Amino acid sequence: MLLTWLACAAPALAHQAAPLPALDFEPPAPGTYTLHRIMTAPDGEVLGVDGRAQQLSRFTRKRITLLGFIYTTCVDPEGCPLAYRVFDALKQSIGARSALRDQVQLVTLSFDPARDTPAVMQRYAGSRVKEDGSGVRWYFLTTRSARELMPLVEGFGQDVRRTVDRSSGQPRRELSHVLKVFLIDRAGFVREIYSSTFLHPQTVLNDIETLRLER
Amino acid sequence: MCHRVVRFGVVVACLTLVFGVRLAGADETCNSPYIAKLIKGQEDYVYVWTLGVEGVGDGFDKLVTIDVNPKSKTYGKVLEAVAVGTRSEAHHMGFTDDRRFIWAGGLAESKIYVFDIATDPAKPKLVRTIADMGDKTGYLGPHTYYALPGRMLVQALSNTKDKGGVTGMAVYNNNGTYIASYAMPTNNGGDGYGYDLAVNPKKNVLLTSSFTGYTNYMRPLGDLVKDTEAMKRFGNTMVMWDFKAMKPKKVFSVPGAPLEIRWSLKAGDNWAVTAAALTSKIWLIKPDSSGEWQAKEVATIGDPAKIPLPVDISITRDGRGLWVNTFMDGTTRYFDLSNPAAPKQTYEKVTGKQVNMISQSWDGKRVYITSSLLANWDKGGSDNEQFLRGFAWDGKELKQVFEVDFTKEQLGRAHHMKLGSKSLRSS
Repeated sequence: MLLTWLACAAPALAHQAAPLPALDFEPPAPGTYTLHRIMTAPDGEVLGVDGRAQQLSRFTRKRITLLGFIYTTCVDPEGCPLAYRVFDALKQSIGARSALRDQVQLVTLSFDPARDTPAVMQRYAGSRVKEDGSGVRWYFLTTRSARELMPLVEGFGQDVRRTVDRSSGQPRRELSHVLKVFLIDRAGFVREIYSSTFLHPQTVLNDIETLRLER
Repeated sequence: MCHRVVRFGVVVACLTLVFGVRLAGADETCNSPYIAKLIKGQEDYVYVWTLGVEGVGDGFDKLVTIDVNPKSKTYGKVLEAVAVGTRSEAHHMGFTDDRRFIWAGGLAESKIYVFDIATDPAKPKLVRTIADMGDKTGYLGPHTYYALPGRMLVQALSNTKDKGGVTGMAVYNNNGTYIASYAMPTNNGGDGYGYDLAVNPKKNVLLTSSFTGYTNYMRPLGDLVKDTEAMKRFGNTMVMWDFKAMKPKKVFSVPGAPLEIRWSLKAGDNWAVTAAALTSKIWLIKPDSSGEWQAKEVATIGDPAKIPLPVDISITRDGRGLWVNTFMDGTTRYFDLSNPAAPKQTYEKVTGKQVNMISQSWDGKRVYITSSLLANWDKGGSDNEQFLRGFAWDGKELKQVFEVDFTKEQLGRAHHMKLGSKSLRSS
């Protein structure tokens, strides 16, 4: 289980990490199981890396969407960096599959609007924010304020808490969360929720294929 | 006859012919692996899901909060009791994955009560009642509440049609909206019964166990044990599922009502244990040398001929030890699990006239025990102690450090426990 802690102001190095471990079981084949509708993905106003305000649904409909909350200063290796590594691996895998690459999009949404401005998200994304020819879209989003963020956080059931760390003798606001990644179908229904205990590119890819085969 | 006051001795004799039973729980080392925020230091509270007793207090089922922090001025005292307005055989409960809510239910109905424990962990609030499980699934008596990401997997014990033991699992999202249901298998050796469930995410397996239905568990125990046909209607199986697909893969023959399931939490371990109530045996579920999952009887609990009735087990965080409570003889036993294929009992102590649930802190230094099994199965007269007792464990001896008398406090029958912490207050 993981609690990720927002430390002082660590740089955005989340995507530099070792290769992901192999899956320790043979997952069921795509299309042989059902992913039920868990809930409707919430909607609200978000900001792209260009600072332009749009509805989140603009990024979670019409394609199969993988959405994860992060904050750019997160350094827990099993937190946001793990999500980033999995997203990165999926971008490569999906990009190599012509049947999938135009049907899937990735969304990384910050839940730390005070620090993660559009410019910070742009730096965090690096070159990934641009379509690189693979056709897999990866959007890096943030919000104007906690007030605009919270309905999205609550709507997804993404627990986020602010606490005070007194270990240093100096009260300091910290942010903690449990890693969750959401698989959303074309109609905007959440169909799977992954936590760190079973977030792996292979299972996610199978689930994406399962949704694609529903057509 | 097995009437209440003399029931204990007679029941033992009656059970010699058949088995026993129990109803289970979980604690800090036995939570769903999807639950965040395990309490690895000193817990502040024990939440006790309590059966209402007619004429005792308001008579309703209730969630009782008890202060268990030795540094607190109210250590060992009742802080809060939230009644749900009914008396429906309150039994088990479970945290949501974010540990903000407790889901709890009774075996006499299909309702689920949701308590907010994040706004003020010392004062849980009943915030929702989920009442559609019977209509949506046909299942009765929700028992195990197992957190999945954003969802709750609920194992029922019975069904609304004939109130027998054939049942299934239901999935709800954390908002209480029904998502899907899955019947326990009745083919390939499956008996259709359910009890506990536990997931090993690293292996994509879900393991389930089996008990009995409403017509048995709501019946006075003295009557039940004399009914030969009814006594045949107990579960004798465990099922290994493909968790992702939620499809049964293999049915194991595990005679005598296998109840609580505990996966070892030690990194690299790949096995689970259970205790069969009626046969008083510990079973190990583990892959064999070819990778095929197998269930094997590995130890005996007490003297099965005396029907000790193992009713709850609690595994240590390192998978090296197992607490076992046996209801009939009120005994708490500790097994060395260093070799899970050959558990060895190393300690035992009578901790009450009747004991049911046992929970331990993450570090294993504190052990909590409650007393009630089922309203109609608890002992009578002076043997009907109802309590939460706290113990300190130094690896050699259980030393009682406090007790809350649930009868004196006008609360009811103390059953399932969950641990709480001030630090989990939402901000």
